Amino acid sequence: MSDQDLVVETVRDILAGHEPFALTADRAWDAGLWADLAEAGLTGVGLPEEAGGSGGELADAVAVVRTLAAGAGAVPVAEQLLAAGPALLAADLDLPDPAEPLTLAVAGAVTAEPSDDGDGPGRWTLTGTATDVAWAGVARHVAVLAAAPEGVEGAVLALVDAEGLATSDARNLAGEPRGSLVLGGAAASGALLTPARAGGIRARYALARAVQLAAALEQVLAWTVQYAGERQQFGRPLGRFQAVQMELAQMAGEVTAVTALVDAAVQALDRATDPAAHDVVLAAAAAKVRAGAAVEVVARLAHQVHGAIGFTQEYRLHHLTRRCWSWRDEAGSELTWSKVLGVGLLAQGGDGLWPALTRVV
Amino acid sequence: MSSSLTLAPAPPSEAAEEVRAQVREFLAEELAAGTFTTHVDTWLSGVDPAFSRKLGERGWLGMTWPKRYGGHERSAMERYAVTEELLAAGAPVAAHWIADRQSGPNLLRYGTEAQRQAILPRIAAGECYFVIGMSEPDSGSDLASIRTRAARNADGDWVVNGAKVWTSNAHHSHYGIVLVRTGPPGEGPRGKHQGLTQLLVDLSLPGIGINPIRILDGGHHFNEVVFDDVVVPGDMLLGEEGAGWHQVTAELAFERSGPERFLSTYPLLAEFGRRACDTGDHAQLATLGRLSARLLALRQLSLRIAAALDRGELPDIPAALVKDVGTTFEADVVDEIRRVVEVTPSLDSPDPVGRALAEAQLHAPGYTLRGGTNEILRGIVARGLGLR
Repeated sequence: MSDQDLVVETVRDILAGHEPFALTADRAWDAGLWADLAEAGLTGVGLPEEAGGSGGELADAVAVVRTLAAGAGAVPVAEQLLAAGPALLAADLDLPDPAEPLTLAVAGAVTAEPSDDGDGPGRWTLTGTATDVAWAGVARHVAVLAAAPEGVEGAVLALVDAEGLATSDARNLAGEPRGSLVLGGAAASGALLTPARAGGIRARYALARAVQLAAALEQVLAWTVQYAGERQQFGRPLGRFQAVQMELAQMAGEVTAVTALVDAAVQALDRATDPAAHDVVLAAAAAKVRAGAAVEVVARLAHQVHGAIGFTQEYRLHHLTRRCWSWRDEAGSELTWSKVLGVGLLAQGGDGLWPALTRVV
Repeated sequence: MSSSLTLAPAPPSEAAEEVRAQVREFLAEELAAGTFTTHVDTWLSGVDPAFSRKLGERGWLGMTWPKRYGGHERSAMERYAVTEELLAAGAPVAAHWIADRQSGPNLLRYGTEAQRQAILPRIAAGECYFVIGMSEPDSGSDLASIRTRAARNADGDWVVNGAKVWTSNAHHSHYGIVLVRTGPPGEGPRGKHQGLTQLLVDLSLPGIGINPIRILDGGHHFNEVVFDDVVVPGDMLLGEEGAGWHQVTAELAFERSGPERFLSTYPLLAEFGRRACDTGDHAQLATLGRLSARLLALRQLSLRIAAALDRGELPDIPAALVKDVGTTFEADVVDEIRRVVEVTPSLDSPDPVGRALAEAQLHAPGYTLRGGTNEILRGIVARGLGLR
């Protein structure tokens, strides 16, 4: 058994004690699941021990995120392990205690101004509102990607203590918190980043969502194949009908394509000496776009095969299909990343498309 | 997901990137010299024996075969890079394509030593071309229902009667690997898989008639090949008598697994990329991004298959899956692009996007039919999912 298998098995064991539930304003996340994961050190996987993490490779963190996504775990682990945590470390900022949920805010109008509040250099004052913040109101810490002061190129990544900040209650299609945070002059440690490095952080976040999508889509396919094998109509299982087989095969094609590209994009990030390199960003963009496109086919056909029961909150399917419908447009919409990819592949001009396509992954 | 559908990621191959650069340089030179012009779907329609011989001279045919048969003992990953570059450039590769892709590997697996010695070096030199002898007028997807028959005569030779159709480039080719019925079918639903045999048929033999069948753009690539008491020498049996179904299944894994299953319309995408670069139009750039993301995923799948071939596997179910997803993509390229470009498709268009759109559109029905319809492929994938 590899280390990753062991990690996956541990996460699965923990998940088994926490059934997914329909998220509401009153119960916006699975605090019990988080506590168990944190106690097992799983909320620090892939983050170096010297920074307070649990150690391990990017692949281990991806394995944790995949397993939790497939299990519809309502916890900010993808944000913490794959996006916010690595972004803070790359910017030489301190990582908060991994037992306290950390998220990333990349949207909205937030500006950072340098401040001298007596806590030394690297202190910033943040004003404005961060929007579409995953786990707003849940995450204790928020890594905010803010606009640099006027006249300064790039962006500021700052670590904000979210306690006491005004939060709006907005949720995505699966009920996951996606509210706004009003920064209102919050003081924070931060670092000025080049536009390329800020772009790299956005791409990492998109890739985190793509990883979640890949895992969720695989699980949706598995559930649908299983259901088609069990549900009997006209005296035989649904899966014996050729029309249903065609649908399941189409789903499998989409899921397999997504997994192959997401794996490749993760490897590209893992191998890169510069995580903000042009090709690494494009690989993440492609993974995000491809995964999002697959949701159209996979979620539609999964619901079609499941029939009416899949259209209810009584049955498990919605935990993943609703998440997929949201995740594909989070951390940058599918349209945004499609354009980033289209523009990026043409960076060397119209004749440069093929060389770019064969180089990115 | 079922392990029969998924393959391990392909390890990076420096050798493949080296040969890719060489092919790219060669193609740029040939394009500059005007020895070919880029077209869509050239692995069906671009017959150019001189070009095929040039590839042979450079060692880019029969790449993975043993040197003693004229091959070059290179990896499937290297061959993948070469074929992908040729397709992306819309180069005229149709003459040798079938021979290099599936007939040669079929001979390597099942041919006699004499057959291999006689034919493989000529394929690798770009001089000997093959056709596929599977479909018939009354047998398409139901391949095992073929009626072309072969029977041994007193001399031990095979006497073949029947007809094959959609036989690409038979009028330019030297041999066919022809699936024939040599024995009665067995009992049960899979019984008709029995009694089938593959023969290696010299297309110049007396009694063979080759009649053109024109496709939608008027091009002559397809043929009907009629066998009227054709006497095929007894030693031209390929593999085992009665094992034709098993052999043809292996051949189809090669036929279905390559990058031509998603790059047939790449020259259109390339023209579209140039257009989007010129206009900077947001809808065009987003469309380019979406199509490129699909293409990048297909490349990863196809590379995984190449890596599996290098491991000695014959991944027939993943190949069916990639071909289903890939051919759907190459047809979608036409629709997605025409939605965001103001252009009228015409083979006579002065606009390269209009011309490529016309070529791609008129060839489009073929993408999801040839080499096994997508319905047949999805049936194979459903088997991989454990549903049948």
